[in-house]
Amino acid sequence: MLNGRAALRGLTGFLLALAFWFGFSRPYERAIAATAQALTNLFESPDVTRLEPSDKGEILLDRRDFPPGSARPGLPGPDIHFNFVLLVTLFALERRPLTGGHVARFLAAAAALFLVHVLALVFQLHSVYATSLGAWSRANYGAVARNFWAAGFHFYQIAGRFAAPFALWWFFGRREEEAQPERPRRRKKKRRG
Amino acid sequence: MSDVPVSARRRSVGFLLRFVALLLVFYLIVASHPVNDAVIVPFTAAIATVSGKLLNALGEKAEVIGTEIRSPSSFGVNIENGCNGVETALLFGSAVLAFPATWKRRLIGLLLGFAAIQVLNLVRVITLFWIGIHRPALFNSSHTVIWQSVVVLFGVLLFLLWAARQRPFSAERSPTGRERSRKG
Repeated sequence: MLNGRAALRGLTGFLLALAFWFGFSRPYERAIAATAQALTNLFESPDVTRLEPSDKGEILLDRRDFPPGSARPGLPGPDIHFNFVLLVTLFALERRPLTGGHVARFLAAAAALFLVHVLALVFQLHSVYATSLGAWSRANYGAVARNFWAAGFHFYQIAGRFAAPFALWWFFGRREEEAQPERPRRRKKKRRG
Repeated sequence: MSDVPVSARRRSVGFLLRFVALLLVFYLIVASHPVNDAVIVPFTAAIATVSGKLLNALGEKAEVIGTEIRSPSSFGVNIENGCNGVETALLFGSAVLAFPATWKRRLIGLLLGFAAIQVLNLVRVITLFWIGIHRPALFNSSHTVIWQSVVVLFGVLLFLLWAARQRPFSAERSPTGRERSRKG
Protein backbone atom coordinates (compact mmCIF):
# COMPACT_ATOMS: atom_id res chain seq x y z
CA MET A 1 0.00 0.00 0.00
CA LEU A 2 2.78 2.47 0.88
CA ASN A 3 4.83 3.37 -2.13
CA GLY A 4 5.80 6.49 -4.04
CA ARG A 5 2.35 6.93 -5.55
CA ALA A 6 0.64 6.53 -2.18
CA ALA A 7 3.02 9.14 -0.73
CA LEU A 8 2.15 11.52 -3.57
CA ARG A 9 -1.57 10.92 -3.04
CA GLY A 10 -1.11 11.46 0.70
CA LEU A 11 0.79 14.72 0.17
CA THR A 12 -1.84 15.97 -2.28
CA GLY A 13 -4.60 15.01 0.15
CA PHE A 14 -2.76 16.74 3.00
CA LEU A 15 -2.37 19.99 1.06
CA LEU A 16 -5.97 19.95 -0.20
CA ALA A 17 -7.23 19.18 3.30
CA LEU A 18 -5.18 22.04 4.74
CA ALA A 19 -6.60 24.47 2.15
CA PHE A 20 -10.13 23.20 2.81
CA TRP A 21 -9.67 23.38 6.58
CA PHE A 22 -8.31 26.94 6.50
CA GLY A 23 -11.21 27.96 4.24
CA PHE A 24 -14.05 26.26 6.03
CA SER A 25 -12.99 25.90 9.66
CA ARG A 26 -15.13 28.87 10.79
CA PRO A 27 -18.46 27.57 9.39
CA TYR A 28 -17.51 24.09 10.60
CA GLU A 29 -16.83 25.50 14.07
CA ARG A 30 -20.25 27.15 14.06
CA ALA A 31 -21.83 23.77 13.21
CA ILE A 32 -20.07 21.86 16.01
CA ALA A 33 -20.75 24.72 18.47
CA ALA A 34 -24.47 24.75 17.61
CA THR A 35 -24.74 20.95 17.92
CA ALA A 36 -22.75 20.83 21.18
CA GLN A 37 -24.89 23.63 22.58
CA ALA A 38 -28.11 21.81 21.62
CA LEU A 39 -26.79 18.59 23.19
CA THR A 40 -25.80 20.41 26.40
CA ASN A 41 -29.12 22.27 26.59
CA LEU A 42 -30.95 18.93 26.41
CA PHE A 43 -29.64 18.04 29.87
CA GLU A 44 -29.86 21.52 31.42
CA SER A 45 -32.76 23.05 33.24
CA PRO A 46 -33.03 25.90 32.54
CA ASP A 47 -30.94 25.75 29.34
CA VAL A 48 -28.40 28.49 29.93
CA THR A 49 -25.29 27.45 27.99
CA ARG A 50 -24.43 29.38 24.87
CA LEU A 51 -21.47 28.62 22.57
CA GLU A 52 -20.49 31.47 20.27
CA PRO A 53 -17.59 31.04 17.82
CA SER A 54 -15.48 34.19 17.61
CA ASP A 55 -13.23 35.44 14.83
CA LYS A 56 -10.14 34.76 16.97
CA GLY A 57 -10.37 30.99 16.58
CA GLU A 58 -12.08 30.56 19.92
CA ILE A 59 -15.52 29.35 20.90
CA LEU A 60 -16.76 31.67 23.63
CA LEU A 61 -18.51 29.89 26.46
CA ASP A 62 -21.37 31.98 27.77
CA ARG A 63 -24.13 31.32 30.26
CA ARG A 64 -27.25 33.42 30.61
CA ASP A 65 -26.69 33.40 34.37
CA PHE A 66 -23.10 34.75 34.19
CA PRO A 67 -22.79 38.28 35.62
CA PRO A 68 -23.02 40.73 32.70
CA GLY A 69 -19.53 42.21 33.14
CA SER A 70 -17.63 38.96 33.78
CA ALA A 71 -15.13 37.48 31.32
CA ARG A 72 -16.29 34.65 29.07
CA PRO A 73 -13.95 31.66 28.82
CA GLY A 74 -12.68 30.98 25.28
CA LEU A 75 -12.32 27.38 24.10
CA PRO A 76 -9.71 26.96 21.33
CA GLY A 77 -11.64 25.55 18.38
CA PRO A 78 -8.81 24.46 16.04
CA ASP A 79 -7.37 22.15 18.71
CA ILE A 80 -10.60 20.19 18.59
CA HIS A 81 -11.16 19.82 14.86
CA PHE A 82 -7.80 20.19 13.05
CA ASN A 83 -7.60 16.38 12.95
CA PHE A 84 -9.93 16.51 9.94
CA VAL A 85 -6.70 17.09 7.98
CA LEU A 86 -5.35 13.76 9.26
CA LEU A 87 -8.51 11.92 8.21
CA VAL A 88 -8.40 13.29 4.66
CA THR A 89 -4.70 12.47 4.31
CA LEU A 90 -5.18 8.88 5.45
CA PHE A 91 -8.08 8.36 3.03
CA ALA A 92 -6.00 9.91 0.24
CA LEU A 93 -3.32 7.25 0.74
CA GLU A 94 -5.63 4.56 -0.59
CA ARG A 95 -5.64 3.44 -4.15
CA ARG A 96 -8.27 5.16 -6.31
CA PRO A 97 -9.40 7.56 -3.56
CA LEU A 98 -12.03 9.28 -5.71
CA THR A 99 -14.14 6.24 -6.60
CA GLY A 100 -17.77 6.32 -5.45
CA GLY A 101 -17.50 3.68 -2.72
CA HIS A 102 -14.35 5.20 -1.32
CA VAL A 103 -15.88 8.69 -1.21
CA ALA A 104 -18.97 7.25 0.55
CA ARG A 105 -16.74 5.60 3.17
CA PHE A 106 -14.86 8.87 3.63
CA LEU A 107 -18.13 10.78 4.14
CA ALA A 108 -19.24 8.22 6.74
CA ALA A 109 -15.91 8.61 8.57
CA ALA A 110 -16.14 12.43 8.35
CA ALA A 111 -19.66 12.30 9.83
CA ALA A 112 -18.37 10.11 12.67
CA LEU A 113 -15.49 12.56 13.22
CA PHE A 114 -18.04 15.42 13.42
CA LEU A 115 -19.74 13.56 16.29
CA VAL A 116 -16.33 13.08 17.95
CA HIS A 117 -15.75 16.87 17.69
CA VAL A 118 -19.17 17.63 19.19
CA LEU A 119 -18.51 15.25 22.10
CA ALA A 120 -15.03 16.71 22.63
CA LEU A 121 -16.53 20.22 22.83
CA VAL A 122 -19.18 19.03 25.30
CA PHE A 123 -16.44 17.47 27.44
CA GLN A 124 -14.38 20.64 27.21
CA LEU A 125 -17.19 22.95 28.31
CA HIS A 126 -18.12 20.66 31.19
CA SER A 127 -14.46 20.46 32.24
CA VAL A 128 -14.45 24.29 32.39
CA TYR A 129 -17.69 24.27 34.38
CA ALA A 130 -16.36 21.57 36.70
CA THR A 131 -12.88 22.91 37.39
CA SER A 132 -12.56 26.62 36.49
CA LEU A 133 -15.45 28.46 38.09
CA GLY A 134 -14.34 28.30 41.72
CA ALA A 135 -17.08 27.92 44.32
CA TRP A 136 -19.74 27.50 41.63
CA SER A 137 -17.82 24.48 40.22
CA ARG A 138 -17.52 22.87 43.66
CA ALA A 139 -21.19 23.45 44.37
CA ASN A 140 -22.42 21.95 41.10
CA TYR A 141 -19.91 19.19 40.33
CA GLY A 142 -18.88 16.45 42.75
CA ALA A 143 -15.43 14.86 42.79
CA VAL A 144 -16.43 12.03 40.44
CA ALA A 145 -18.08 14.40 37.95
CA ARG A 146 -15.07 16.75 38.02
CA ASN A 147 -12.67 13.91 37.26
CA PHE A 148 -14.95 12.43 34.61
CA TRP A 149 -15.29 15.62 32.55
CA ALA A 150 -11.73 16.86 33.06
CA ALA A 151 -10.10 13.48 32.39
CA GLY A 152 -12.37 12.89 29.39
CA PHE A 153 -11.27 16.11 27.75
CA HIS A 154 -7.63 15.58 28.74
CA PHE A 155 -7.74 12.14 27.11
CA TYR A 156 -9.01 13.77 23.92
CA GLN A 157 -6.21 16.37 24.05
CA ILE A 158 -3.41 13.88 24.65
CA ALA A 159 -4.48 10.82 22.69
CA GLY A 160 -8.05 10.94 21.38
CA ARG A 161 -7.74 13.71 18.83
CA PHE A 162 -4.84 11.91 17.13
CA ALA A 163 -6.26 8.42 17.48
CA ALA A 164 -9.78 9.26 16.26
CA PRO A 165 -8.90 9.87 12.57
CA PHE A 166 -6.64 6.81 12.52
CA ALA A 167 -9.32 4.57 14.08
CA LEU A 168 -12.04 5.92 11.77
CA TRP A 169 -9.85 5.46 8.71
CA TRP A 170 -8.99 1.93 9.82
CA PHE A 171 -12.66 1.10 10.35
CA PHE A 172 -14.26 2.84 7.37
CA GLY A 173 -11.55 3.37 4.83
CA ARG A 174 -8.99 0.63 4.94
CA ARG A 175 -9.84 -2.35 2.81
CA GLU A 176 -8.32 -5.60 3.98
CA GLU A 177 -7.71 -6.93 0.51
CA GLU A 178 -5.67 -3.83 -0.30
CA ALA A 179 -3.54 -4.33 2.82
CA GLN A 180 -2.53 -7.81 1.76
CA PRO A 181 0.97 -8.01 0.38
CA GLU A 182 1.03 -7.84 -3.33
CA ARG A 183 1.48 -11.25 -4.78
CA PRO A 184 4.72 -11.65 -6.68
CA ARG A 185 4.04 -11.44 -10.35
CA ARG A 186 4.24 -14.76 -12.00
CA ARG A 187 5.98 -14.80 -15.26
CA LYS A 188 3.61 -15.83 -17.94
CA LYS A 189 4.71 -19.04 -19.39
CA LYS A 190 4.83 -18.87 -23.06
CA ARG A 191 2.56 -21.42 -24.49
CA ARG A 192 4.27 -23.59 -26.86
CA GLY A 193 2.68 -25.06 -29.81
CA MET B 1 -17.72 -2.48 3.28
CA SER B 2 -19.79 -5.43 2.20
CA ASP B 3 -17.03 -6.58 -0.14
CA VAL B 4 -14.72 -7.26 2.82
CA PRO B 5 -14.67 -10.89 4.02
CA VAL B 6 -16.13 -11.46 7.51
CA SER B 7 -12.88 -12.92 8.93
CA ALA B 8 -10.90 -9.92 7.67
CA ARG B 9 -13.49 -7.55 9.15
CA ARG B 10 -13.31 -9.40 12.47
CA ARG B 11 -9.49 -9.17 12.51
CA SER B 12 -9.73 -5.48 11.69
CA VAL B 13 -12.25 -4.75 14.45
CA GLY B 14 -10.24 -6.89 16.89
CA PHE B 15 -7.17 -4.79 16.14
CA LEU B 16 -9.14 -1.60 16.72
CA LEU B 17 -10.51 -2.80 20.07
CA ARG B 18 -7.03 -3.81 21.25
CA PHE B 19 -5.67 -0.47 19.98
CA VAL B 20 -8.25 1.61 21.86
CA ALA B 21 -7.83 -0.47 25.06
CA LEU B 22 -4.03 -0.09 24.96
CA LEU B 23 -4.33 3.63 24.24
CA LEU B 24 -6.55 4.05 27.31
CA VAL B 25 -4.13 2.07 29.50
CA PHE B 26 -1.11 4.05 28.26
CA TYR B 27 -2.99 7.31 28.69
CA LEU B 28 -3.85 6.44 32.31
CA ILE B 29 -0.20 5.57 32.98
CA VAL B 30 1.20 8.71 31.34
CA ALA B 31 -1.43 11.03 32.86
CA SER B 32 -0.95 9.76 36.40
CA HIS B 33 0.87 12.27 38.60
CA PRO B 34 3.79 10.02 39.67
CA VAL B 35 4.63 9.04 36.06
CA ASN B 36 4.07 12.57 34.80
CA ASP B 37 6.36 14.05 37.45
CA ALA B 38 9.04 11.34 37.38
CA VAL B 39 9.16 10.54 33.65
CA ILE B 40 7.24 12.89 31.37
CA VAL B 41 8.35 16.25 32.79
CA PRO B 42 12.09 15.31 32.93
CA PHE B 43 11.79 13.80 29.44
CA THR B 44 10.18 17.02 28.16
CA ALA B 45 12.91 19.06 29.85
CA ALA B 46 15.51 16.87 28.08
CA ILE B 47 13.81 17.64 24.74
CA ALA B 48 14.00 21.35 25.59
CA THR B 49 17.70 21.03 26.50
CA VAL B 50 18.62 19.18 23.29
CA SER B 51 16.53 21.62 21.21
CA GLY B 52 18.25 24.57 22.91
CA LYS B 53 21.69 23.14 22.15
CA LEU B 54 20.76 22.51 18.52
CA LEU B 55 19.29 26.00 18.19
CA ASN B 56 22.48 27.54 19.60
CA ALA B 57 24.54 25.40 17.22
CA LEU B 58 22.41 26.74 14.36
CA GLY B 59 23.09 30.33 15.39
CA GLU B 60 19.86 31.11 17.27
CA LYS B 61 20.44 32.36 20.80
CA ALA B 62 18.26 30.20 23.00
CA GLU B 63 18.11 29.80 26.73
CA VAL B 64 16.45 26.78 28.33
CA ILE B 65 14.68 26.91 31.69
CA GLY B 66 13.01 23.61 32.53
CA THR B 67 10.66 22.83 29.65
CA GLU B 68 10.78 26.38 28.28
CA ILE B 69 13.03 27.69 25.49
CA ARG B 70 13.49 31.46 25.41
CA SER B 71 15.15 33.86 23.04
CA PRO B 72 16.68 37.25 23.98
CA SER B 73 13.88 38.87 21.93
CA SER B 74 11.49 37.74 24.69
CA PHE B 75 9.89 35.07 22.51
CA GLY B 76 9.57 31.73 24.26
CA VAL B 77 7.98 28.33 23.78
CA ASN B 78 6.97 26.04 26.59
CA ILE B 79 7.01 22.38 25.56
CA GLU B 80 3.94 20.78 27.08
CA ASN B 81 2.19 17.45 26.82
CA GLY B 82 0.98 17.24 23.25
CA CYS B 83 4.20 18.87 22.00
CA ASN B 84 6.77 16.39 23.31
CA GLY B 85 6.10 13.58 20.83
CA VAL B 86 4.73 11.37 23.60
CA GLU B 87 1.20 11.53 22.20
CA THR B 88 2.37 10.23 18.81
CA ALA B 89 4.51 7.61 20.56
CA LEU B 90 1.41 6.46 22.49
CA LEU B 91 -0.51 6.13 19.25
CA PHE B 92 2.34 4.30 17.54
CA GLY B 93 3.03 2.04 20.54
CA SER B 94 -0.62 1.09 20.96
CA ALA B 95 -0.93 0.23 17.27
CA VAL B 96 2.30 -1.83 17.24
CA LEU B 97 1.30 -3.79 20.35
CA ALA B 98 -2.24 -4.34 19.06
CA PHE B 99 -0.98 -5.73 15.75
CA PRO B 100 -0.20 -9.47 15.45
CA ALA B 101 3.60 -9.88 15.41
CA THR B 102 6.36 -11.54 17.41
CA TRP B 103 7.49 -9.75 20.57
CA LYS B 104 10.97 -9.33 19.12
CA ARG B 105 9.60 -7.52 16.07
CA ARG B 106 7.31 -5.43 18.25
CA LEU B 107 10.23 -4.41 20.45
CA ILE B 108 12.40 -3.46 17.47
CA GLY B 109 9.48 -1.54 15.97
CA LEU B 110 8.80 0.29 19.22
CA LEU B 111 12.44 1.31 19.73
CA LEU B 112 13.07 2.44 16.16
CA GLY B 113 9.67 4.11 15.87
CA PHE B 114 10.05 6.00 19.15
CA ALA B 115 13.51 7.22 18.13
CA ALA B 116 12.29 8.32 14.69
CA ILE B 117 9.28 10.15 16.16
CA GLN B 118 11.50 11.97 18.65
CA VAL B 119 13.96 13.02 15.93
CA LEU B 120 11.09 14.49 13.89
CA ASN B 121 9.71 16.13 17.01
CA LEU B 122 13.06 17.83 17.62
CA VAL B 123 12.89 19.22 14.08
CA ARG B 124 9.37 20.42 14.88
CA VAL B 125 10.40 22.20 18.10
CA ILE B 126 13.39 23.87 16.43
CA THR B 127 11.32 24.92 13.40
CA LEU B 128 8.52 26.31 15.55
CA PHE B 129 11.00 28.30 17.64
CA TRP B 130 12.49 29.74 14.45
CA ILE B 131 9.01 30.55 13.06
CA GLY B 132 8.04 32.17 16.37
CA ILE B 133 11.01 34.53 16.14
CA HIS B 134 11.15 35.25 12.41
CA ARG B 135 7.55 34.62 11.19
CA PRO B 136 5.36 35.08 14.28
CA ALA B 137 2.18 35.46 12.22
CA LEU B 138 2.56 31.87 11.07
CA PHE B 139 3.27 30.41 14.51
CA ASN B 140 -0.26 29.42 15.57
CA SER B 141 -1.25 27.63 12.39
CA SER B 142 2.17 25.98 12.10
CA HIS B 143 2.01 24.83 15.70
CA THR B 144 -1.57 23.60 15.90
CA VAL B 145 -2.36 22.35 12.46
CA ILE B 146 0.67 21.72 10.29
CA TRP B 147 3.34 20.31 12.59
CA GLN B 148 0.95 18.35 14.80
CA SER B 149 -0.56 16.75 11.71
CA VAL B 150 2.86 16.02 10.22
CA VAL B 151 4.18 14.34 13.38
CA VAL B 152 1.04 12.23 13.88
CA LEU B 153 0.93 11.27 10.20
CA PHE B 154 4.58 10.30 10.45
CA GLY B 155 3.73 8.01 13.38
CA VAL B 156 0.84 6.44 11.47
CA LEU B 157 2.97 5.93 8.35
CA LEU B 158 5.75 4.36 10.44
CA PHE B 159 3.20 1.94 11.86
CA LEU B 160 1.84 1.09 8.41
CA LEU B 161 5.37 0.48 7.11
CA TRP B 162 6.16 -1.70 10.10
CA ALA B 163 2.84 -3.56 9.81
CA ALA B 164 3.42 -4.24 6.12
CA ARG B 165 6.63 -6.08 7.08
CA GLN B 166 4.76 -8.23 9.62
CA ARG B 167 2.26 -9.56 7.11
CA PRO B 168 4.18 -12.72 6.28
CA PHE B 169 4.15 -13.61 10.00
CA SER B 170 0.39 -13.12 10.36
CA ALA B 171 -0.18 -15.05 7.17
CA GLU B 172 1.94 -17.91 8.51
CA ARG B 173 -0.21 -18.01 11.63
CA SER B 174 -3.48 -18.11 9.73
CA PRO B 175 -4.86 -21.58 8.89
CA THR B 176 -4.51 -20.97 5.20
CA GLY B 177 -0.93 -19.91 5.73
CA ARG B 178 -0.15 -23.11 7.61
CA GLU B 179 -1.75 -25.19 4.93
CA ARG B 180 0.27 -23.45 2.32
CA SER B 181 3.51 -23.91 4.25
CA ARG B 182 2.80 -27.65 4.74
CA LYS B 183 2.10 -28.04 1.11
CA GLY B 184 5.17 -26.02 0.21
